Amino acid sequence: MDSAASARAPPHPVQNGPEREPLFRARDLTKVYPSGESEIRALDGLDLDLYESELIVLLGASGSGKSTLLNILGGLDVPTTGTLTYRDLDLTGANEDDLTLFRRDSVGFIFQFYNLIPSLTAKENVALITEISRDPMTPHEALALVALDDRMDHFPSQMSGGQQQRVAIARAIAKRPEVLLCDEPTGALDVKTGITVLEAIEHVNQTLGTLTVVITHNAVIADMADRVIHLSDGQIVDIQENKSRRPVRSLAW
Amino acid sequence: MLSPLDLKLLRDIGKMKGQMVSVSIVMACGLAMMIMARSLILSLESTRDAYYADHRFADVFCDVKRAPNALRSRLARIDGAATVETRVTGSAKLDIPGLAEPADATVISLPDDRPQQLNLLYLRSGRLPEFGHADEIVVGEAFANAHGFEPGNEITATIYGARETLKIVGIALSPEYVFEARPGETLPDNKRFGVFWMNERDLAKAFKLDGAFNNVLIKVAPGASPLGVMAELDRILAPYGGLVAFDRHDHPSAQRLNDELRVLHGLSFAFPAVFLSIAAFMSSAVLTRLIRLQREQIAQLKAFGYSSTQVGFHYLKFAIVIVAGATVVGGGAGMCLGTGVVQVYHRFFRFPELHFHPNWKMFGVAFAVSAGAAFLGVIGAVRQAVKLPPAEAMRPEPPAEYKMSIVERIGLSKFLSTTFRMAWRNLERKPWQAFFTAFGLALATGIPIVPGAMGDSIHYLLSIQWDVAQRQNVTVSLIEPGSASALTDIRSLPGVMIAEPFRTVPARLRFGHRSRRLAVTGLPRDAYLNRLLDDKERAVELPPNGLLVSAKLAEILGAKVGDPIILEVQEGKRPTLEATIQGTITDYAGVFAYMEINSLRRLMREGGTVSGAYLSVDTNHWDDFLARVKEAPRVAGVFIKEAVRGSFKKSTGEMIGMITTIYFTFAIIVSFGVVYNSARIALSERSRDLATLRVIGFTQREVAAVMLSELIILTVAAIPPGLWIGSQLAAAIVHTASTETVRMPLILTPHSFAMAVVVVLCSSALSFAVVSRRLSQLDLLGVLKARD
Repeated sequence: MDSAASARAPPHPVQNGPEREPLFRARDLTKVYPSGESEIRALDGLDLDLYESELIVLLGASGSGKSTLLNILGGLDVPTTGTLTYRDLDLTGANEDDLTLFRRDSVGFIFQFYNLIPSLTAKENVALITEISRDPMTPHEALALVALDDRMDHFPSQMSGGQQQRVAIARAIAKRPEVLLCDEPTGALDVKTGITVLEAIEHVNQTLGTLTVVITHNAVIADMADRVIHLSDGQIVDIQENKSRRPVRSLAW
Repeated sequence: MLSPLDLKLLRDIGKMKGQMVSVSIVMACGLAMMIMARSLILSLESTRDAYYADHRFADVFCDVKRAPNALRSRLARIDGAATVETRVTGSAKLDIPGLAEPADATVISLPDDRPQQLNLLYLRSGRLPEFGHADEIVVGEAFANAHGFEPGNEITATIYGARETLKIVGIALSPEYVFEARPGETLPDNKRFGVFWMNERDLAKAFKLDGAFNNVLIKVAPGASPLGVMAELDRILAPYGGLVAFDRHDHPSAQRLNDELRVLHGLSFAFPAVFLSIAAFMSSAVLTRLIRLQREQIAQLKAFGYSSTQVGFHYLKFAIVIVAGATVVGGGAGMCLGTGVVQVYHRFFRFPELHFHPNWKMFGVAFAVSAGAAFLGVIGAVRQAVKLPPAEAMRPEPPAEYKMSIVERIGLSKFLSTTFRMAWRNLERKPWQAFFTAFGLALATGIPIVPGAMGDSIHYLLSIQWDVAQRQNVTVSLIEPGSASALTDIRSLPGVMIAEPFRTVPARLRFGHRSRRLAVTGLPRDAYLNRLLDDKERAVELPPNGLLVSAKLAEILGAKVGDPIILEVQEGKRPTLEATIQGTITDYAGVFAYMEINSLRRLMREGGTVSGAYLSVDTNHWDDFLARVKEAPRVAGVFIKEAVRGSFKKSTGEMIGMITTIYFTFAIIVSFGVVYNSARIALSERSRDLATLRVIGFTQREVAAVMLSELIILTVAAIPPGLWIGSQLAAAIVHTASTETVRMPLILTPHSFAMAVVVVLCSSALSFAVVSRRLSQLDLLGVLKARD
């Protein structure tokens, strides 16, 4: 499949019609990092549209540009050239304050190493977000979504890795974000725990209709996605559309 | 070629230079003070010793009423006396053009028929008086400088009632007037007091002492005891009206210089000790944090085969760099300050030359002391780091364990924001770190109190002395004790509203084996002008019999109220009397013994004798009064309170102001250093959390609030104990700076406390601002990728 062409084409209809406006629209996105006398092109003229409710898996080797793309989508970084819009917001020319506001209101992040605040309990870690959001769920609701409402008063050090990652998911989704960005969410976990975490992500995607982008090294995980985007050397080499998503429960690696 | 480990050292230092510099600077402040004080001590002591030796400063001194020159040979035979010099001394009243009030001078004879052997003059300019020139004088430098006198100028003086015009032929210094002030006076008043030297024969004639002397100097032979010489001297001079002989220990100028050195000794220890201990805490905090961050690197080094000693030494090198920087900066600053301060000292203590001698040995000691302090602070963390097996160290530290804080467990959690909850739990999780940070902040709060308290103390001392206790504006002393008619004469001077007589009797006070030379002062019982005060500033009435003594004198004599004191009177018939201490008074400069004036006269078996009077003079008649008193032949000296106060403000006040400014500056630097360092450590420890908060949508301001709330809690908690510590520190330093000449009371005003709080809050605000700026440089992506 021609990657550039298909990336620009409307995606496979997921729930609604093909005339839907994309949430993210990236055109000729390039990110160049200076590296001594040479430079690294982390993203190299990338075109991409991402839609509401989609579950996207980004696959690619180390250095293929997955994380750079995710960071730029999440407003943690800005492209060197090209344009990126989120609805009507131009993320290319946004300043620090706009990006902070964008992250605060619209984006949920999940990291490989959970990044919970160790001095706060599960509930309080979630409350960190709900205190500054416009229309949040209660911490209790968010934790219930990841099936951790019975661990609300535990500190991170009192929970397993999988539980900590689910708290991180609850924290990310408590503000009802339109976008959930997950960077190797299962990278630090064993298979069984990884499955429970992915189930939580799948559950959130399905119940809240949040556009979810998951970075992974693990090709098996790709089966849970609507679309699988393969990156290499900062370019999209393939976009694979799954006719039907495999339930996480049935995945194994 | 640097080893890779040393390159790592250099680059790590480059990355944490802010903190290294802040620790170094605090340490440097301590070292600067230590090196400044120690070098001043060395400069003063070495200059003094060389001056005393080169100019043959006598060891034993004695005044006598009148002894014939024929006695010289007998004095020379005193066992243990190497050199004996006899002199004529007295006082002269001076009429200086442009100076409304009279000034006075001590006039000392220079031998004209034999070479001068002791207390040799150092001629700054001009020459010594020529034989037979009765009007030629050499003038002490401090007085000459105060008036701009040079050889060739003339001065009108009244010597023993005779008015004469004297011609200055030389400007000189003498080892017995290193501190050129009236004997017993705490502050120099170089405008109104000078020292003159003139030919012996002419001076003796002027004082009606032809063929006689009234002052003896003795140089004690090496190995001989001054005590034996003094006893023998007293015995020989007794029939001639000899006063008690004394040695350098009691010599007014030598004693004043020794007191100053004692203060410097104290300060060279007290302040630096505080600063260096703060610096030790700070370096410990910085390096402990560094080692924790580099846990994995340490494991790798060990895995490569570096020994624990090599790794340990690598981290100790950080401390060495901090200390070396501090020694260089502190040493340089100490030398600069010392060079400046020594010039100020030179205005008070007159030496032919006073050069700043850096105390190089002290640099070594300073380096060793601060290196020791830094090592102690770091060694624990280094040992812990190298003890860990590499495999274990390479794994990240287990997640930090937290629990509900005490505040929450007692049910106050609903009052706390999430931010404050985080702060509380962090503090409770590392109570020792919190304690030491708070302790550093408390010291930073306390230190600025000290210079404030020193300034207030001097201010209080002077206002008590000059406004509360002494209400006279003029004190007049007579050449010789006079009869009641002398008081009548004084009362009749223009403008005199109140005149209260006083009687001073030179005596040796003895209790047990301790004794003290001083003048017992007789005052009227209901004194209105010169009042005696207790420690609550209340006037104390003189008892009808017995003594009221300075609390310090009682301490020196080891006596208490009710104890009988032997008075060996050194005047008139020189009776030996006994008087009981009836009470003590609180005064701050010198030591005194007082008696009710009539009771003293009864003991002395005399009538209405007076030595002088305290006056309240109507300022409307001021000029008339001064003109008349200048002419009055029986008046030896006139002390005008406002004039002394003015001269104090210009000289001593300036010096105290300078010292206070130095200390205050150091206090601010320390305060800033401690807070900045704590904030940097907080930033480093929490950078991962803070970056996470930034990523999930917290603004920079909100993140700053999270980081700062911990420090705000600590700062607020540190202020009350800090004020207490500051009070204790001030008490200790004021105590150190107190000598017999000046005893500084501990005065703590709300102003000092407020100033200290303002200093710590401002430096907190400033360092928070500096550190908050670094929040914008947080590596959001990097910090999320890497594990702690």
